[in-house]
Amino acid sequence: MTSILVQDLHKTYKGALEPSLKGLNFSFPKGAIVGLLGPNGAGKTTTISILCGLVKADAGQVQIFDLPQNAMNRETIKRLIGVVPQQIALFPHLTAIENLEYFGNLYGLKGKLLRSRIDEYLQIFGLEKNGHKEVSHFSGGMKRRTNIIAAILHQPQLLVLDEPTAGVDVQSRSMILQFLRDYNQQGVSIVYTSHLLDEAQTICREVAIIDEGKAVVQGDTTELIARHPECRNLEDVFLHYTGHALRD
Amino acid sequence: MLRLLATIRKEWLLLLRDRTGLTLLFAMPVVLITVMAMIEDAPFRDYQELKFDILAVDNDHGRLGKYIREGLEHSEQFRVIDTVKGHALTEQQARDLVNEGEYKICIIIPKGATGAIVSNANKIVNDISKRMGMPGVLPVSSRKDSLNVIVYFDPASKKAFKSAIHQALDNFLTQVETDLLLERIKQQLKKKDVPENDSMVIQLKAVGLKEQLTGPSQEIDVISNSVQHNVPAWSIFAMFFIVIPIAGNMIREREDGSLLRMKLIPGSYLAILTGKMLFFVAVCVVQFYLMMQVGIYLLPLLGLPKLVLGQSLLAAFIVAIGIGLASTSYGILVGTVFKTPNQALNFGAISIVILSAIGGIWIPLEIMPSHMQLIGHLSPLSWGLDAINDIYLRNAGVGHIWGHMGKLVLFAITLLCIAAVIEKRRLS
Repeated sequence: MTSILVQDLHKTYKGALEPSLKGLNFSFPKGAIVGLLGPNGAGKTTTISILCGLVKADAGQVQIFDLPQNAMNRETIKRLIGVVPQQIALFPHLTAIENLEYFGNLYGLKGKLLRSRIDEYLQIFGLEKNGHKEVSHFSGGMKRRTNIIAAILHQPQLLVLDEPTAGVDVQSRSMILQFLRDYNQQGVSIVYTSHLLDEAQTICREVAIIDEGKAVVQGDTTELIARHPECRNLEDVFLHYTGHALRD
Repeated sequence: MLRLLATIRKEWLLLLRDRTGLTLLFAMPVVLITVMAMIEDAPFRDYQELKFDILAVDNDHGRLGKYIREGLEHSEQFRVIDTVKGHALTEQQARDLVNEGEYKICIIIPKGATGAIVSNANKIVNDISKRMGMPGVLPVSSRKDSLNVIVYFDPASKKAFKSAIHQALDNFLTQVETDLLLERIKQQLKKKDVPENDSMVIQLKAVGLKEQLTGPSQEIDVISNSVQHNVPAWSIFAMFFIVIPIAGNMIREREDGSLLRMKLIPGSYLAILTGKMLFFVAVCVVQFYLMMQVGIYLLPLLGLPKLVLGQSLLAAFIVAIGIGLASTSYGILVGTVFKTPNQALNFGAISIVILSAIGGIWIPLEIMPSHMQLIGHLSPLSWGLDAINDIYLRNAGVGHIWGHMGKLVLFAITLLCIAAVIEKRRLS
């Protein structure tokens, strides 16, 4: 069973000169931590937006846990997915607990169940003493951790993270990565996008590298590195497939 | 329902955290309506209510001068000034003082004015007497040219002001001429065989003028004064300024990604939007009632009339909700269309000022040119103001406000639909 299946996906935004996706194909196994990697403008954000049902593809097929992403399944799929956006998508002038209560309520969670989950995750992420502080007073790492909690309150089966460790200190990064490993051990599939390829190499069992709207390679991380003797690590593999030209 | 209530709670908490914003949201409208009611008080008063200094140079020293002077002072509209620094005012001095703007009006009663009026009355009575077979013996002047009471106005005087003064002075002249004529007629008739004790009262006013209320109630008599216009008008203006916080709120949510997160969560975004709208409509209604309290309690302390609320508090409440809906939906549209808070702030603020100006907030629509009145009736602020005026001034009840309410609600629905289309396009 796959967590995500993408087949021949096409998307061109209105008014855009170039298509964002030009027949993208990849699939990820259920229950794995996988990396969706690519340079700027490769089509990662568009792909994630289509996976989550925010943007409609022009052509092609997407399945989440074998459910086709269409109008009929959109709400069900939203419930299966948790998304951690690259931005700190929280209300800065609410406390961490108020933010989490609000997003929990939007997921239909309330009362003791919601409160116990908030307490549990605040504990896991080392924020239990800061739950009543406004998010605007948090450090970058604390904000990132709260951002992750807001995406997992409803206990999704698939967690999609977009640059979850951008701009955080080493301690916070270590905690976040350890949490992702532990969370994956509970059977949750995780899709991870990042430009920090050493981090991706450490955490992702499998990666798909996409460029210019197409998948250029997909496979087991260790095997991919081994397949190219001239490449010492995932970053070398990435550059091998996407080239050294700047992407501005 | 949980999504809706959670959104209302979230907005409430965000508003409470922003103490400065919260204060401005309620304090600024209070300051606005207080200032506007005070500065617009004078233009709103009838000229009869104001007292002007009027320079008078009486070259006649007769009955006309005395009558005009007494009439002006009796009207309580004017203070007659005929001396400056203890010296009798000359015509040249009076003209200079008015021209320099120190006084607004000056009247010059020409020499021989009373004589001219008496002569004219005598001539009329003599003509009547001749036709009745009585001898015409009252003296008539041989003077051919007509005399004029000259009026000088401050060059900066408004047309309406000049017209009001002209009318008042014309009334005095007519009154003097009529009185003298009647007196002469009585004199002439008394020469016939009339008993000594016949006082012969001539009453000219057979039909008078009486003002009555048009509305169903005879209990209150509300006059459209500065407070009655300015408090509701500027309250509606201030309520529409909710556009700025709403648009800012929506743009911030889009920029910081929280809107994205909300859309990733299963369930209708409409419930979240409705919660947001309900909260801001409630803020508008609270603003409205706060400002009504200012009209009732604060403005009378500043020497202004007390605001009269009409008889249907329910109708006013419904209209306040309608205005809140219209302003909130406008804020949502502005927040959807514009990408940055600066764009939204500039457009939102200026568009509200324009809508308020054409909608009769600054000056009543009735005194605008007819083509501007037509345009003005397209402004949602004018619908709100018309509804409030109907309730407060015409004692309209719930049954009479649905026309205005329909327009406000339709406006709100239309703007929300446009916002939805724009948001959908943005995603694609």
